[in-house]
Amino acid sequence: MCSERTGAIIEVSMRINDFSSEWMNCDRVSTFMARLVSQKSVDPMFHANLFSTALNELLEVVFFNHGPQGSFTCRVGRVGDVETIEIELPYDEKTLNFYTDVLKTLDRPDVEELYQASLFEAGQVDARLGLLELAVDYKAKMSVLVAADQLTLRAEIALGWVQ
Amino acid sequence: MISKRAFDVEFNVNNQEFMIAGKLRPQNEAEIEGLLQEIDKAAAQVRGTFFLNVKRLAYLNSIAFRALGRLIADLAKRRFDMQFVIVTSGVLGWPTRKFSSIAQQSFNVSIAEYDKDFYPGQSFLEDGGFIPILRTQTRLTWRHERGILPKHGLRAGMEIADICCGIGDFAMLMNREFSPARLLALDHSRSSLDYARKVAAEFGMTDIEYVHGDASGIMIDDNSFDFVTCRHSLQIFDRPELIVRELFRICKPGGRVYVTNEKISQCFGEPRGESITAAYAEVADLFAHFKMDLEFGPKSRRALADAGFDDIIIDSFTVANTDGKPEEFAEMVTAWEDVFINEMCRDRGDAPERVAMIQRGLQDHMKAALHPSGYAGWPVWAASGRKPS
Repeated sequence: MCSERTGAIIEVSMRINDFSSEWMNCDRVSTFMARLVSQKSVDPMFHANLFSTALNELLEVVFFNHGPQGSFTCRVGRVGDVETIEIELPYDEKTLNFYTDVLKTLDRPDVEELYQASLFEAGQVDARLGLLELAVDYKAKMSVLVAADQLTLRAEIALGWVQ
Repeated sequence: MISKRAFDVEFNVNNQEFMIAGKLRPQNEAEIEGLLQEIDKAAAQVRGTFFLNVKRLAYLNSIAFRALGRLIADLAKRRFDMQFVIVTSGVLGWPTRKFSSIAQQSFNVSIAEYDKDFYPGQSFLEDGGFIPILRTQTRLTWRHERGILPKHGLRAGMEIADICCGIGDFAMLMNREFSPARLLALDHSRSSLDYARKVAAEFGMTDIEYVHGDASGIMIDDNSFDFVTCRHSLQIFDRPELIVRELFRICKPGGRVYVTNEKISQCFGEPRGESITAAYAEVADLFAHFKMDLEFGPKSRRALADAGFDDIIIDSFTVANTDGKPEEFAEMVTAWEDVFINEMCRDRGDAPERVAMIQRGLQDHMKAALHPSGYAGWPVWAASGRKPS
C-alpha cells in the first residue's frame, strides 16, 4: 500500500467495528504510530507528541463518524517536510455528507471564528471540533477521496512550523 | 495524587496551584466531570491568583480542552476579583499556543510559559556562549567521576537518563565507558542539544537519544531508568526540589539518582589566596542575585533525603590544576570570567569597583593554576541515592 504520493511509512488495518468498539483505540493507534514515524526525527519525543496529538484528533472524529461495516486503515507517511495521514473507512450517505460538509466549512474565511465558537459556546460538543482544530491550530490541509466502498480522509500537516 | 487513570492531579493550597499531568483524552465531557469539579473546588479555596499548572500534561484532546476552557472562562467570570494563570511548558509544541485562546476570552486569565517565566538565570545558561564552559568542565570532572560512578551504582548495560545534559559530552563519555542498554540525554537548551547531536554524529554515536525537555516536568513515564544523572543543575534552579522529585519519579525502584553540585565560594588557589577567596564569595552572591545557588553542593545529601531516597552516598572531589594540564584549568576559569563579568555583572548593574574585584580574583585563580608551584582548585560534591523498592 506504500505510495510515493503519501510517502507511507506504516499503516494499521482492522475492521471498523473493532476500531470503534473501544475509545482507547484512538489513543493506542495514535501513540503507537507517532512513536514509529518519529524515531528518526531530530527530537523524537517532541515530534511524537505533536504527531500523536494531531492524529488522535482525526481518529476521534472517525470513531464517531463512519459507515456501519467494512475495514479501517490508518496510513501515515511523510513527503518532504509534510506529514501525511490517510484514513480509509467505510461510509454511508450520512458519513459522506458529514465529511463533505465539514470540508466545505474548512474553506470558509471565518473558519477560525467557527473554531472559537465551537470551543466556547454552550451546548453539545460540535462533531466537527477535531477537524476544525486541525485546520486552524495545525494549519492542516484536508481532503476526502471517495471510492465505491471506501472513503479516504486525508490530512497533510507541516509539523515543522511549530518546532 | 489520584491514580488509576491516565492523568494525575495535585492541589497545593500553599502555592494556590492545581497541577494536571499525564494524558487527558476522554470520550466525552462527562468522563472528566470529576476533574472539573476538583478544579472548581480548589479555585474556591483561593484568593488572589489561582495557578492551573499543565506543564506536564502531555496529551489533551479537543473534548477535554473545550471542557477545561469553558470551566476556566466560567471561573474567571464568576471570580472577576481573581487572576487565573495557566502555567504551560515550552517543551511541547502545542500547549502555550492552544491555551492562549482561553486567555483571549477573559481579562483575568493569562498564560505563563514555565521555562521562560520561572527560571531567572536561564538566559545565561541557554546562550550558545556557555558551551565552552560546559565542555571544559566536563573534561576536567570526568577524570574524577569516571572512577566514582561505579561506587554510586553505575554498571554496564543499564538504562540511563542524563537530565540537564547540556552539550551531551557527559552522556557520550558514559556511553563509551559504561555501554548502557539505553541512554537518553535531556536538556532545555536547544542550542546545547544541537551541539550535542552534531558532536555525537561526528563520533558516530547514533545510540544516544537527545531530547528537548524541562527537568521539572519531564515527559517520561514513571520508573523508566536504572540510573539517572543530573549534574551541576540543581544549583541553578530556584526550586531544585521540583527537579529532584522528577528524578525520583523517572528512576526505577531500586535504581539510583546521581547529582553533582558546587560550592563555588570554596574555590581556592595559592598564591594570591585572599583575592581568590574574596572573588568567589562575590560570585556566589552574584548567582544568588539571579536565584541560583552555587553553594548547593553539600546540600545535595539533604535534597535527596527529602525526596525519599535511601542509601545516600556523598563524595566530594577537587578538580585541580595538578590533575592534568594546568592550561585546561585556566581555560575553564577564563570561560567563567567571560560569563560572570561580561554578562552577569553587567546585567546586575555592578559598580566598576566590584566588577574589578571579581575579575582580579578570577585572574589570580588562573595565575595560581599556571604558576610553576601554584595550586588551584574547584571543589565538586557528588551524591547519589537509591529509590526504595
